[in-house]
This record gives sequence, structure tokens and C-alpha cells, in this order.
Amino acid sequence: MISLIRSEIYKIGKQSKTLYALAAILIIEGFVFLSAYYQGAGIIDLLLDNLKESFEFQGNLLNGNLIIYLILNSLWFHVPLILMIIISGFLTSEYKDKTIETVMLQPVSKLNFILSKYIVSIIFTLLIVLILAVTTFLISYWIFGYGDLVVYLDGLNFFESEDASYRLINAFLSGTITMVFFSVVSLTLAVILKDATKTWIVAAIFLICSNLLLKIDFNNEIINELFFSKLTDSWQYFFYYEVPYSSIYFKNILLLAYSILVMAIGVLIFKRRDIQG
Amino acid sequence: MKRLYFLLLFFVSLNAVNGQEIDNDLLLIKRRMDSIKSYEAQIKLDVDISFINMPSKYGKVRYRQGEPTKVTSRDFIMLPKRGLDLTLNELFEHPFITVNRGQENYKGVSCKVINLIPTSSKSQFSIATIFMDTSAKRIVKSEISTKMEGVFTTSLNYKNDIDALPTAIEVEFAVNNVKIPLRFLGKETQVDRKAIKQEGSKSGKIFLTLSDVQIGR
Repeated sequence: MISLIRSEIYKIGKQSKTLYALAAILIIEGFVFLSAYYQGAGIIDLLLDNLKESFEFQGNLLNGNLIIYLILNSLWFHVPLILMIIISGFLTSEYKDKTIETVMLQPVSKLNFILSKYIVSIIFTLLIVLILAVTTFLISYWIFGYGDLVVYLDGLNFFESEDASYRLINAFLSGTITMVFFSVVSLTLAVILKDATKTWIVAAIFLICSNLLLKIDFNNEIINELFFSKLTDSWQYFFYYEVPYSSIYFKNILLLAYSILVMAIGVLIFKRRDIQG
Repeated sequence: MKRLYFLLLFFVSLNAVNGQEIDNDLLLIKRRMDSIKSYEAQIKLDVDISFINMPSKYGKVRYRQGEPTKVTSRDFIMLPKRGLDLTLNELFEHPFITVNRGQENYKGVSCKVINLIPTSSKSQFSIATIFMDTSAKRIVKSEISTKMEGVFTTSLNYKNDIDALPTAIEVEFAVNNVKIPLRFLGKETQVDRKAIKQEGSKSGKIFLTLSDVQIGR
């Protein structure tokens, strides 16, 4: 099993798509940095426009913490989309190149093979989010410095710099669980569909629907609490003024359970199916 | 004939208003405040506005005669546009007349209430109501209607009967809800535009607490 995981990691390291994923993440970061640099002050002005009548402001709200928050918001769509495309490719490329047939001719169990794919996908997801977080924190603080964070979530919430950093770090950690869920789903879709293009399309539709369903009120408390799409926003909860920790724990644990379930479905389908490119 | 009486009454009252001088008690308080050449104090700011959540902020307030009051902090702070003018310099910047409104009880203190009506178009306020504790020679409350920034009501609380500077200031004002750029919206944030429009302005309060006050005379 460990040798399979090592071999998968080696393959990923050698594949150019890994570099594309990293480049895409850095490009997203770059766009946010540029737009913040040139338009950030305008956005802050607009946000506080009505308050200017009664208040004078002192201090800088266009700082590293705000930039990190803006980049963090790429966890809604951009980052999971990139992850789903790249990770589904881990398996679809094996079908396309027929390397999966070669691997299966070796004394390798189908269970171990697909499990190693899932494990490496999760490691890859963790690595991408870690790189995103580390580069975001370093560059944002380096260019824009420290300062209070302002977020509009059920009101205008102001967080002091240290508190903001703590919330942002926790939001990245919580967001990682959401990213793992989407990665697992994309690999399971790859197991089902085998074809790269079909998997990308279905993965993108899944992500879009998941984002749309998050906003829909099902008028049913159980569905609203337990449906998978309602669990993907736990990281955003760190920006409520009073952090609802119990909701965050509940959502993350349930989302992990969903991830295991989706993985189990993928493993079962892969085991039962004949290997054909 | 009635019209003639009315016109006569109007000109007589106008003359009476023009002839009014600035209230002596106000001048006394102003002179007392002018004796303060400078002051420095630690300041704590708390915001009470329904749609703003902000922790207590700390800073330093510094005043030098002839200069505007300055507040410095290493954090982001929101300061009310009025309420920090403890030396009344902003009110006295342009000429005005005062009208005595009699005595009124405020927080257990019998206060002399006067209206300040500016006589210069340059003045930034249209009318101000001042509650003066004449025995302690200080202002305990003011309501300033500004031309551009709405109405500010300031309550001043003092540590004892002697101090010229307050230790707690409460500034109340009308404040409009914020406009929200889309990128700031969390996914779960619902924006009811109709409700926001209907809400109009709300009242907000800022509490300023002064400590370690050091006065230079």
C-alpha cells in the first residue's frame, strides 16, 4: 500500500498538471493582489461611504488581513474547481493512456490501487491549500502589512489584527475539509465516468449546483442541516462576530463522513468494474 | 391694521434677537476651557450601532490650544465627527447669538439650557442646544444640528464636581446603513434591499472613556 502511495506521489510529481495546478493557484492570488492594490481603497471607501457622514476613520483597512480574506474567498469556487479538474485527471489519464491496465497486470489489488489514489488526492489537496495559505499570508503581510479586518457578514464586523489572523488560519483549516470533500467527489466521478472531459464537465456542474444549493432554503430543518451542500461553508463561520464553534464542528464532522461515504462508493464501483480503458 | 400690528411685532422681536448677546454662563465656561492650554488622556472607544460589531478600541487623545483635538491609535478607529470638541472651539469659530431656554433637569442636575444660533453662513451648525451646569461651570449635554452631518447629541459625565474635563462622553447621532460591495458578501448573507431602503437612518452611539487625564495650563 505504502509503495503504491509512493508511486502515485512520484507520478504526480512528474506530471505537468501538478505544476498547472500550482500556477493556477498563484495566478488567482496574483489577480487578487493586483485588484486589491489598484482598487482596494475604492472598495473600502464604498463600503464605509455612508458612515463617513458621522465618522472620521483612522487606520488602514486595506491591509494583509483583508487581502487574505479576499483570497480565502476563492475557496467558494476557483480552488475547488482547479482541484476537481486536476484530481479527476489522476485517474482519467490512467484510463486514457491505458496505464491502468498495465498496473492491474501487476500483483496489485484493485482496492489498494484506488485507495492509494484517494489518499494521494487528499494529500495533494492538503498540499495545495497549504501552499495557497502560506503564500497568501506571507505575500499579503509583506506587501500590505497588518491591520484590522472588516468583513460584512450579518453586519459590519471588525476584527483586531491578531484576532483576524487567528480567524483566517482557522478558516483555511476548516476550508481544507471542504476542499477534501470536493476532491474526493471528483475522483469518484472519475471512477464512474472514466473520461476526462465528461468528468470535468460533471465536476464543474456538481460544484456550481453545490454553490447554488447552499443558498436555497429547503423549508426543512433536517435537509437544511444535513444536506451536503449546506456543509461546505463552515470556514465562512469564522467571520461571524461570535464564532459558532459547535456549528463548525458539526458541519466539518458531517462533511468528513460524506467524504468517506463518497470514497466508499467510488471504491465499491471501482472494485466491481472491469478495467478497460 | 392687523397686518400693521403683526409687522410691528415682527420688527420689534427681530430687533430683540439681534440685540442678544452671548450668554454669560457660556462665556464663563468658555473662559474656563480656554485656561486649558493642552491636555492628554488615554481614550477607550466603544461603538453601539446595530449593524456594526467592533471590539473596544484604545488610543490617546491629545489637545493643544489652537489645534484640533487629535486621537491616535495603532488600531483602526471610528471617531464621531462631533463630540471631541471639549474646549468649545468649534462652536465659537463663527459668530452666534444665544437664546435662554430656562432651567431643565438633566441626570439630577438643574441645568441652564440655551440655544446657539449662528449669525454667519460659514458656521457648520444650524442650531445648537447646550445644557450647562452653571454651579460646576461646565457643559453636561449638547445637541448640535450640523448643516451637512446631521444631529449630534453629546452627554458628558464627570468624575467629580470640580473637574473641567469629562471622563465619559456619549455621542449619539443618526447613521445610515452601509452599502455593500458584492465581494464582501458572505454566501449566507441575505441583503434585503427593500428593508434597507425602508430602514433609512438609525441612531448610533459612541462611548468615549477618558483616563489618565493630564492637563497643561
